[in-house]
Amino acid sequence: MSDVTQSIKGGVKHGTARRNILPEGVFAWMLVGPAMLFIGVIVAWPLAETIRLSFMEAGLGGEKYVGLANYEDLVSSRKFHQTIVRTFYWMFLSVALKLILGLIGATLLNAAIPGRALFRVLIMPPWVIPIAIGCIGWLWLYNGYFGILSGVAQKLGIVDGPFEFLAYKTSAFYSAIVTDVWVGVPMVTLFFLAAMQGVSRDLYEAAWVDGAGRWYRFRRITIPQIMPVIVSMSLLSAIFTFNSFEIIWILTEGGPRGATTTLIVDTYKTAIGNYKFGEGSARAVIIVILLGLFSLAYLFFLNKVNKKYGAK
Amino acid sequence: MATLDLNSISKSFGTAKVLHDISLAIEDKEFVVFVGPSGCGKSTLLRIIAGLEEATEGKILIGGNDVSDAHPVDRGISMVFQSYALYPHLSVYENIAFPLRVQKMEKGELDQRVKRAAEILQLTDKLDLKPGQLSGGQRQRVAIGRSIVRNPKVFLFDEPLSNLDAALRGDMRVELSQLHRDLDATMVYVTHDQVEAMTMADRIVVLNGGRVEQFGTPMELYHHPATKFVAGFIGQPNMNFIPSTVIDTANGLSVELKGGHKMVLPVDTTTVSKGDIVEVGVRPEDVTIGTTGVEVEVRVLERLGGASISYGSIGGDTRFCASLPGDVRVKEGGSVTLEIKPEDCHVFDANGYVLRRQAAPELVA
Repeated sequence: MSDVTQSIKGGVKHGTARRNILPEGVFAWMLVGPAMLFIGVIVAWPLAETIRLSFMEAGLGGEKYVGLANYEDLVSSRKFHQTIVRTFYWMFLSVALKLILGLIGATLLNAAIPGRALFRVLIMPPWVIPIAIGCIGWLWLYNGYFGILSGVAQKLGIVDGPFEFLAYKTSAFYSAIVTDVWVGVPMVTLFFLAAMQGVSRDLYEAAWVDGAGRWYRFRRITIPQIMPVIVSMSLLSAIFTFNSFEIIWILTEGGPRGATTTLIVDTYKTAIGNYKFGEGSARAVIIVILLGLFSLAYLFFLNKVNKKYGAK
Repeated sequence: MATLDLNSISKSFGTAKVLHDISLAIEDKEFVVFVGPSGCGKSTLLRIIAGLEEATEGKILIGGNDVSDAHPVDRGISMVFQSYALYPHLSVYENIAFPLRVQKMEKGELDQRVKRAAEILQLTDKLDLKPGQLSGGQRQRVAIGRSIVRNPKVFLFDEPLSNLDAALRGDMRVELSQLHRDLDATMVYVTHDQVEAMTMADRIVVLNGGRVEQFGTPMELYHHPATKFVAGFIGQPNMNFIPSTVIDTANGLSVELKGGHKMVLPVDTTTVSKGDIVEVGVRPEDVTIGTTGVEVEVRVLERLGGASISYGSIGGDTRFCASLPGDVRVKEGGSVTLEIKPEDCHVFDANGYVLRRQAAPELVA
């Protein structure tokens, strides 16, 4: 540290032929200041404010300190328990599908097939176009009277009349998952593809000469070699999915009758929809804690995986 | 163990033909080295033998069986890659065991074979380590270990020593030769390094531009190069080539070397006639300082101790290198007269083919 500042001071002195007019400490603060200010405004202050609010009964009318009452309400609320279970179910199902489809997609895109470059571009749109636009497309697909899904289902005789996918609890939930997976798969696929391309061709050739079949090579070379990326993508994808808000909000606003209300949607509805800032903040704090635990588990696993599979 | 026969192998990538009608008969338990400059097709030929590439035309026979369309594992070959191709996430033990795991070999025998291979290659105390924790030479040995556990009929090596430093390469050359003796197996080895080829091979295949220039024992190639290319490729330092004019073809080949020195060389003269331009090849180690011979201007003299290598030229533009005694009294920038014995000379016609030598040293086995 002092070496660095020494040389910086030396540089200033030499370059401008001036005595250093700033004390060392001030100069250091000037360097880190902007970054600290940025983090303070964007992260620290809102976080602190959220934690503070979670101990308040706060609305448009003012704030009143209520201690742990907001948390106690949540702990005893059956509806909230259901929301948590639903959120985890939503997350695990969606992440699992994203990883499986991503793995399949990356394997196909990595294969020597004609027109590979074109396919690689074609998987991008769900990720590239704004989520809201994509979701409006899906709204039409799920529409009972004009949507293609309902139309095809009727033609095939699967349903008798127009079927509104987003109008029933179960179908709305799984429809929202399908859309969430659609949005999330391209990124996962591209990361897996990049990782697969980093695996040396020689390893496959050596295994091929030794008689290892396609599946054997995939299982014993590809998967272990890209394992660190699989672990990273699992966590990133889990966080994105856990906090996936726009898709649910545009498709169902958490309905019907709460069937697609995940923690993040519940938080929004409570805090912004019903102006219960205190109760909403308590939910937000719980999200932070859960995701914090997630990240810790992730670091633990990543460390383990890197040890086991020999990080490069 | 088995013989390996290549019958008229050709290979094209699109319109580019990289191998032209290659036929070789490799004997059982022979150590054959494919050598040649980059892009000569030697690695492609090895990959065709391995089954990693398909030949455009021709047949491959191992132990007399046509394996041209067989899967690598059914050909009874194993291959050591230039990059070693070790699985970084598996231990040394699992790397060596990999081909046996593919075969679903029973545990007891697998363990026995892996440990036997580790013993041969002195890797017993390294079995639990990952490849990343090994030195280059040890990784090389693991790669060899993986190739020997399967007891293949033919071992294929693709430039296995090129990633090692010079000292280690020397050690590994000796180890590989030893391994060949111990395993008593047919081995095909690709390299661009003629020293590796000369020191390890029973027979050498010199490849150039996708064609076999010559197939023979190291000393055959050294004393009887069939073409100018082989003559220039084999031997260190490289052979010198002096442009010369044929004066007479009766009673040996009478030539006037560039610089004016005249010689009568004991070679077959049936394919040349008076006035033709030929090239006389002289190995740097076949010259002595004398009173009559070629005048060479010495530009650089490298004193190696036991020998001094002089780099110079005849008449300004024909490079001439000579290996002289260590204490030779020659100055850089000066000139020296080098004596050449007629029986040491090689002569190549305008197409680069040799005129057969009539007096040449007897070949050692």
